[in-house]
Amino acid sequence: MLQLAINILVTASNMLLLAVSFMLIYRAVKFFHFAHGIIFAWGAFFAYMFYKMLNLPIALAIPLAILAAGLSGVLIEIIIYQPMRKKGSTGLVLLLASLGLYTVLQNVISMSFHDSTKSIHSGQISNVQFAGVYITTAQIIALISSVVLVAFVGLFLQKNKFGITLRAVSNSTYLAKISGISVSKTYIVAFAIGSTLASIAGILVAYDVDMTPTMGMSPLMMAVVVMIIGGTNRISGIIIASALLSVLLHIGTWYIGMQWQEAIVFGGLVVFLLFRPKQLLAK
Amino acid sequence: MEYLLHVLIMICIYAILAQSLNLVIGYTGLLSIAHAAFYGIGAYSAAIMSLKLETPFLLNLVCAGGISSLAGALIGFPSLRVKGDYFVIVTFGFQVIVFGILNNWFFFTGGPMGLPGIPQPVIFGWHISSHIEFLTLAGVLASVVFLISHRIIKSPFGRILQAIREDEVFALAAGKNIAAYKVSVFMVSSAMAAIAGVIYAHYISFVDPTSFTVMESIFIISIVIIGGAGSLWGPVIGAIVLVTLPELLRFIGLPSSIAANIRQILYGGLLVAFMMWRPQGLVGKFRFRLENAKK
Repeated sequence: MLQLAINILVTASNMLLLAVSFMLIYRAVKFFHFAHGIIFAWGAFFAYMFYKMLNLPIALAIPLAILAAGLSGVLIEIIIYQPMRKKGSTGLVLLLASLGLYTVLQNVISMSFHDSTKSIHSGQISNVQFAGVYITTAQIIALISSVVLVAFVGLFLQKNKFGITLRAVSNSTYLAKISGISVSKTYIVAFAIGSTLASIAGILVAYDVDMTPTMGMSPLMMAVVVMIIGGTNRISGIIIASALLSVLLHIGTWYIGMQWQEAIVFGGLVVFLLFRPKQLLAK
Repeated sequence: MEYLLHVLIMICIYAILAQSLNLVIGYTGLLSIAHAAFYGIGAYSAAIMSLKLETPFLLNLVCAGGISSLAGALIGFPSLRVKGDYFVIVTFGFQVIVFGILNNWFFFTGGPMGLPGIPQPVIFGWHISSHIEFLTLAGVLASVVFLISHRIIKSPFGRILQAIREDEVFALAAGKNIAAYKVSVFMVSSAMAAIAGVIYAHYISFVDPTSFTVMESIFIISIVIIGGAGSLWGPVIGAIVLVTLPELLRFIGLPSSIAANIRQILYGGLLVAFMMWRPQGLVGKFRFRLENAKK
């Protein structure tokens, strides 16, 4: 029983970090940035490249990977989305472009690293065992980093100047512009923080299990589902939604089987959207 | 020669898929990432029926269309309550669930191994076996789908679909039953996608889940968008361009190990480029102003 609770907690914390990173970007730009799933995968693959292929020490390789993947997110915004927005492209046009980007970038990974399953950790995975509960060190690291980073994002949105600007832009781009806020700069900040967090999430998952070029798709969709259920205006909503979804996922896989987890998540989403289209914790 | 015929058959199949998706994306203004799911439902229905029940081709065609249009109604209903980006996610979810069923329900679908040995079709004693006969079949069905789409677009029904695309609230205010229209366009579109699936299953004589992934859905969307959403010839031209372009790469002598990646990079890149510089596609008139439906 305790083991199940721990597993639910670990899944929830993985979902939470990616969902919060996606939410930061979605709040600013208001469209589903599908290529975010690739930033998640890129974090892991950059880490693999720096750590395993270039043999850099891990204390240097991981920050470099986070930086590189975070920067790619910012570059996507500057090179692709920003010019499109200037031409007055609507949200769904941007969404289509992000689908195209996702396709391109995922194949870039497949071509550069091949499709075989890889892993960042070396040697035996160490476990911690207490009171009959089994948890890997990677999971403990993931759990702690998620909680710390999400708390940081919460503080950032409430106290930091950029955080407050971000909320202003998300409420009304028009009013933000009038008040002299640079909207495009705010978008870049959102992409920078969101992509950094996503790449950390990717590295944490890759460190715990393994990595493939398509690793971003399914976690991203779960993160989107968490964000839809939890709402985009509060972190607390997302925390509750990721806990709920994680419980649903574990109970579902217990009864029906592991291979149906995506079906369970989306089934839950459809039921939720049909019966409660307003966000769970909407004001 | 056979190679050329093969490419032409694939163009027919993708023209059917794109034409049917165009009814939903281009004319009704609903973005759906679930089209490969309906394609797959059609292909698997035909495969399962002809393998397990040994039914004739035309019956497979009708039943696959029927099953797929029922599944299409399932997607149509959420479109009434869920709008814009959220609807895209619902269709995405449907795509993932269908892929999950194809991949995991071993008893019916053979799981990741797929279903081999689908027999060649026989229509009223005409045994279709050579490439040229398959091309005739695919060409006839593609023309039928084209003509039906043409009829739909020019009919009052089609005009109301376009009204929904331009301004949903206005269409509602004009007394149109939007719910019924949206659900029916999804049913028609899914049935057409199933036709493509049936041809594919009988032609390749093998189906497996990897042909009906999200990437395939994105590929079909790319055809519609690059050809030109909301125009009749757009999907046809898109299918010709996007099916032949990767084939041309073969002649440059790319190693086959990266050919699949290059193909996906090509259409993904084209999708981004078209969204950036020519959102109306090659021959389309509409600049894909889907936002209207959201306001």
